[in-house]
Amino acid sequence: MFCEKAIELIRELHRVSDGQLPAFNEDGLRQVLQEMEALYEQNQADVSEAKAAGRGDLIPSIKLRHCCLLRNQRCVVAYLYDRLLRIRALRWEYGSVLPANVRFHMSAEEVQWFGQYKKSLASFMRSIGGQEGLDVTQDMKPPKSLYIQVRCLKDHGEFEIDDGTVILLKKNSQHFLPRWKCEQLIRQGVLEHVMS
Amino acid sequence: MFIADIKKDFYEVVANQRVALLVAADIDGLCACKILQALFHCDQIQYTLVPVTGWQDLSTAFLEHKEQFRYFVLINCGANVDLLEMLQPDSDSIFFICDTHRPVDVVNVYNDTQIKLLIKEDDDLGVPTYDDIFRDEDEEEEGEGSGNESDEGSEPSGKRRRFDEGAIERRIERQRAKRQWEARRREILFDYEQYEYHGTSAAMMFFELAWVLTKDTKDMLWWSIIGLTDQWVHDKIPHMKYVSDIATVQRHVSRHNHRNEDEENSLSIDCMRISFEYDLRLALYHHWSLYESICNSYYTACSFKLWTLKGQKKLQEFLADMGLPLRQVKQKFKSMDVTIKENLRDVIEESSNKYGMKDIRIQTFGVHFGFKNSFLASDMVHAAAALLESTERDENDPTDNFIKALDSLSRSNLDRLLSGIDLAKKKLIAIQQTVASCICTNIILSQGPFLYCYLMEGTPDVKLFSKPLALTLLCKYLLKAFVQSTRNKRCKLLPLIMAAPKDVEKGTVIVVGIPPESETSDKKNFFGRAFEKAAESTSSRTLHDHFDTSIIELKSEDRSKFLDALITLLS
Repeated sequence: MFCEKAIELIRELHRVSDGQLPAFNEDGLRQVLQEMEALYEQNQADVSEAKAAGRGDLIPSIKLRHCCLLRNQRCVVAYLYDRLLRIRALRWEYGSVLPANVRFHMSAEEVQWFGQYKKSLASFMRSIGGQEGLDVTQDMKPPKSLYIQVRCLKDHGEFEIDDGTVILLKKNSQHFLPRWKCEQLIRQGVLEHVMS
Repeated sequence: MFIADIKKDFYEVVANQRVALLVAADIDGLCACKILQALFHCDQIQYTLVPVTGWQDLSTAFLEHKEQFRYFVLINCGANVDLLEMLQPDSDSIFFICDTHRPVDVVNVYNDTQIKLLIKEDDDLGVPTYDDIFRDEDEEEEGEGSGNESDEGSEPSGKRRRFDEGAIERRIERQRAKRQWEARRREILFDYEQYEYHGTSAAMMFFELAWVLTKDTKDMLWWSIIGLTDQWVHDKIPHMKYVSDIATVQRHVSRHNHRNEDEENSLSIDCMRISFEYDLRLALYHHWSLYESICNSYYTACSFKLWTLKGQKKLQEFLADMGLPLRQVKQKFKSMDVTIKENLRDVIEESSNKYGMKDIRIQTFGVHFGFKNSFLASDMVHAAAALLESTERDENDPTDNFIKALDSLSRSNLDRLLSGIDLAKKKLIAIQQTVASCICTNIILSQGPFLYCYLMEGTPDVKLFSKPLALTLLCKYLLKAFVQSTRNKRCKLLPLIMAAPKDVEKGTVIVVGIPPESETSDKKNFFGRAFEKAAESTSSRTLHDHFDTSIIELKSEDRSKFLDALITLLS
């Protein structure tokens, strides 16, 4: 049936859990494009025949193929756009250097797009916040205080903060630390922000 | 040494430093910890909080953190032993100890440099004077030696013998004085350290600090109330002290409630309001049904003797006397008829006077925030204690429970608190059933100088009683029930020792001793020293790990010889 390959692409993205980027399905995309080409060729032939020989009974099949073409286009565009959105979210999560396994899943064009996005984000951050710019990607929510209370969820050993002091992160110990040092560990799941 | 000005000598010292908080696992300690945390948040003082459950835990935590921290704050641990000897810290570590355990070890009192006690000096301490215990020995020896030499050198040999005799006599005199002094010292120390008791709540101390800094909030006041109520629920302070501490707190409460009285600017219903309540001594009755609460609170259960049939009948009579229909009384308190709830306290007080329960009402405080949420201080104590010692799941890390209990004290963690209340209900029911079965099967034996009870391994809910707080509560209820049910007049004045299995694989039992039950007892417990001496004399394998010296762990096989040693020691 027509358009099934396109739906495969969409299903693939849907199956993967939120935020992860599966490998770029170049084969699938090529198959869809081939199908679109085949449909288009057939349509061209039928249209010229309908015009020349005045065969009105070809018009429904032309319409059908046209709808399939539009559907395929929509699916492919949705696939590509969703991947771009995920890649954009990755910049916010991982920082400007992506881990190798993620980069492996991106196509060359996506890598290029990512580079341009990074550049435009960096120039935006430089433009705000006075002289040195402001790193907006540091805090997910606007910070309310310099220090936050965190609880340690697993034994992590020693941890050094900016002024050289070392803290021992033991399970279930609570600490009151500068915010920016904790963000990394909170994302990794070692610390948990405690609101009281 | 005792700190005179808590703001200058403690708070301002740690203001720009990083502090390690080592907190013991009891509710008063938790509340004190919360108050201190709130103050530290206010002033951006960096700290690390480590829960400790015993002396070994404390030593481990200290060893792990001593490289990184210079200032240690110990809450509800550390005052009653020689801390410097136990931890062997470097000379620049400073300890601030806020502990309710008394007697405070004399070394801790007289150490000027490293140990600062956050305890009021007049708090009923009775510390022996410095000269009675410590003496500068070196001067004496030197003076003697040089005296001898100069004597020998300056005089010719004829007079030497006379001077020698004089010198010898003086030396003998000095030695005798020294022996006398040492004997007196031992006696003074023995008297001082014989009885263990508790002082003012740590939470109240920290609340006072907050008040002096004018950074006190209603939340902190509520926590200090919970800390004080914990001391009362777990029988750590005598009644008079509780009443006087309540009066102190009441002044703060009225100061905070001042705004409410103005009708135009009354606070929104969501704000926290603390109110003084002269409420019934029925555990958790607002969150339970009245009937269940009466059956499971030790005061009413022991007065009615609810483990007997006669007692049950008396209870029914009591309810009928007050005109409360059984249907109303057995349903949840919140859904009870409003007309009945209105005068409930007065009605119950009147009726209970007829049945011999003179103080069914106790002065306490309650908190209200929002339309649904109102809790009494004792409710919160029971809930937090149940969470602290919960044996619900198998992999029970005590620090996990500590964190859960700590969380339940915040207003924003209501679901934690409600789960704690459920656990507390189960705990109270278990305690009541165990008490009933112990009394009915007569397993409390009089061993002469004390009563003794051993919980067998197959007893239902025995896992609950492997924890110190739960076991102490059980002990207290059991003793009261026993005193009510026995006819032997002498037995009513005896203290109780209770043993329960702690760890079946390792074969250990936990042993708790409580002082005798009396109306005006001062809650002084001599079992700490007694246990130590008995363990030494029989070389039983014991572990005196708990901060309360009257709670120890013992190998089951050594149980009988340990008991025999105790009997000989105390008779």
